[in-house]
Amino acid sequence: MKSIDDFSRPEEYISPLDKHFRSVVRAWVDKDVMPHRREYDEDWKEHTLIEPAFDNLMANRGLGIQKALFPADLGGWGLGQSDYAFTIACTLAEEVGRADTAMAVAFMVTYWPLTTILVEPHVNRRLAAEFAPMFCKSDKAVFAALAMTEPQGGADIENMELLGGKTIKTTARLDGDEWIINGHKLWPTNTGGVGQLFGVPCTTRPGSTDPNDFALIFVPADMKGVTQGGPYEKAGMAADKNGDLWFEDVRVPNWYRAHGPGKDAQVFKEIIPWGLVGSMGFLVGAMMNLYEVLYEFVSTRTYGNRPLKENDAIAGLIGRIAGDIEVCRILAYEGARIGDRRNRPYGHPLYSEEVLAKLRNLKDFVCDRAVENFGRAMDVLGVYGPDRQYDIEKHWRDIKIIQLWMGGKQLCQMEAARYFYNCKTL
Amino acid sequence: MHKPLDGLFLSTREHIDEEEQRIVNTVRQWADREILAKRLTYLEHYEQEFAGKRGMLLMEIGLQRLALSEENGGFGWNSKASAPCLAAVLMEIGRADAATAYMSALQFTTILASGADGTSPIDTLISRFYSTDKPVNPALILPGPGSQDEQTPLFFGRSINARLVHEGDSAILFGKNMRPAGCGALADHFCVVCADSAGKPWIAFVPADAQGIQRGNILQETGLNACANADITFQHVRLPREATLEGKETVEGLYLWLNLFLGATSVGAAMNFFEIVYDWANTRTIKGGSLMKENPLCASVLADVAEEIAIARFLTDDLARLIAMTASPNGPELQNVYTFAQIVGYRVQQGAMRAVNRGLELMGSAGYAREWHAEKHWRDIKTIQSYLCGVGAEVPVKMDTARFFFDCREI
Repeated sequence: MKSIDDFSRPEEYISPLDKHFRSVVRAWVDKDVMPHRREYDEDWKEHTLIEPAFDNLMANRGLGIQKALFPADLGGWGLGQSDYAFTIACTLAEEVGRADTAMAVAFMVTYWPLTTILVEPHVNRRLAAEFAPMFCKSDKAVFAALAMTEPQGGADIENMELLGGKTIKTTARLDGDEWIINGHKLWPTNTGGVGQLFGVPCTTRPGSTDPNDFALIFVPADMKGVTQGGPYEKAGMAADKNGDLWFEDVRVPNWYRAHGPGKDAQVFKEIIPWGLVGSMGFLVGAMMNLYEVLYEFVSTRTYGNRPLKENDAIAGLIGRIAGDIEVCRILAYEGARIGDRRNRPYGHPLYSEEVLAKLRNLKDFVCDRAVENFGRAMDVLGVYGPDRQYDIEKHWRDIKIIQLWMGGKQLCQMEAARYFYNCKTL
Repeated sequence: MHKPLDGLFLSTREHIDEEEQRIVNTVRQWADREILAKRLTYLEHYEQEFAGKRGMLLMEIGLQRLALSEENGGFGWNSKASAPCLAAVLMEIGRADAATAYMSALQFTTILASGADGTSPIDTLISRFYSTDKPVNPALILPGPGSQDEQTPLFFGRSINARLVHEGDSAILFGKNMRPAGCGALADHFCVVCADSAGKPWIAFVPADAQGIQRGNILQETGLNACANADITFQHVRLPREATLEGKETVEGLYLWLNLFLGATSVGAAMNFFEIVYDWANTRTIKGGSLMKENPLCASVLADVAEEIAIARFLTDDLARLIAMTASPNGPELQNVYTFAQIVGYRVQQGAMRAVNRGLELMGSAGYAREWHAEKHWRDIKTIQSYLCGVGAEVPVKMDTARFFFDCREI
């Protein structure tokens, strides 16, 4: 059997640390996740099986990966200062996504709000020092969440290009040296009771499109007035808990705001590329596992008394699937490199229209291929396709939401049209 | 949702008379009152909750006897002429719950595929299966993937993994770890495609209490959760000879009915998905206040949803009419209809699946949450689609099609 590592990626983009990260995380995946992942669906509420696996990946007693972005002098690994931060993120997303995309998103979303204060050139030392002990010294997995979506707006908050934050209903009011936050958020990854730190997009002037009125404020979950609802029951993605989040007169120090007027809107836009590259990594990882399962099935099961893979028509179909995985992996790393070029003379800032449009475009493409190929692979397995023991159906259920999140397919299409066709009103 | 579905998704139903339509309407009332109106209460353990509702449908309304011959105490919808009304009934059930419809689809398939005419021994035997005062669950074991180390008899390329040996007036069935298309764990009887020592296909009708049947563990599957599945082993299961039917044409007939009935099931589920998306698009706003359905891009996605369902329903209704108009159950036109049933069956499942996939794009996370019920239709239809493929995705159907239209001899 060819190895999953034989799928191409632009090797000259890859971090010198890639090999080490990959081998350590893959060993954790094979030991802690693969043997149990078929039982995760029933564990969606309690995380009895899932939580110890997260501890072994994220916490100090395990690999300690939750501290990766923090500066080394604060107890972290300093990846926020790396020229390969996006590429390494793609690698991690791929490796964990191969086993379970929900685990991948849950652990990587912990980094998501933190990128705004830990990744060059936007390091906020005071906040980094404030939150470093929470992540760098814990023997338990610590989850952070980016609380974007609100009941009334769907993907409107992600659509900053058009709406400029005017639909945000969660308010932040300065009272002396504290922010007072009120609002209701839905669906953030790492809520449903597990979140310990939230990055909360708010408005300081409801209805405003002025970037100066957009605030990104960090709120620890144990602050008075923060309420997390229980986890939603979903079609899949059991390792990722989502729920309602309420802020009722929550008071946090005024310096818990990420950067301040104007800059918060900018770093919030910069969050989106991280999510898009991560999404592609999750999907490519899942598709690499699809290949592993499919390889075994088409080699050992027959049609016309010959292995499925030796039938020309079926070979055409599975060949297309493998070809798509190859292309998607190359695209995912190209997307990661677009992110890592941000500080280079030939790169573009993460908040630029160009980066947003191109990464949304890539994510849309990879999502479409993944949704199509997992559905097709289930049909190749036929009567065995819906069986959880074959693992493809779990990925099929899980990856659909990757297509739906962050504004979904249609927002990707709009961003691409705006950029490539100079649309003015979309 | 204020427009009636029949007014939106037009169909050609002149083959359904008033009395038959009354039964279809009764099933619709059952769906509306017993399932759709109470859906939120079924969020947990619906597969158990629905058992009582299915019992009402099968026993009180009487659907268990719908496809049995009048001679055997049924409603007499046991001929090809009944294809349109049976499909219409399944659409109504599927709209409420695809798993419930799926089980009825398997029941109708086993009865109709046996060529039940009210007088033959096989008809009497099948009728006995269903003439009880409790719901009866059938399971189908179809040709599918073979194993690398075994040469099997084939049904148009698909491996027939069960063996039938004739001994005097008996037939003896063998098969190890056979994977049913759903319902294996709860089946009261099995309809098994098997092959004799010469490789000729047969269908065997096997009561689940026959000696020599072993069930594996309950499988966890994507959807159709009320149709608990398990692998089945037949170890020297002795059957009366009249419990078997001979010939490739019989198996073609089985697929013909299966494609129709599973098509109707998925169309029904997709129509309820349409109702869910309709409500969503009529109440959700985007871009800071515009109604979702009034945005041209979203509207084009909504159009895809409606278009796929409308075409799938047309195709299903047309297949039903085609079957109804076919003169002889095993005549020369059967292969024509078999091929069309395969083509239509594949297209209908593909269309229903695409409709749901597209609609989910607009529902975002809500489409993925159990609360909205959209994801259940998505999982159920996908499960039906994969079951019906059997193995190799659409390739076996493509081969059937090419063989028919282009006289291919070796594929």
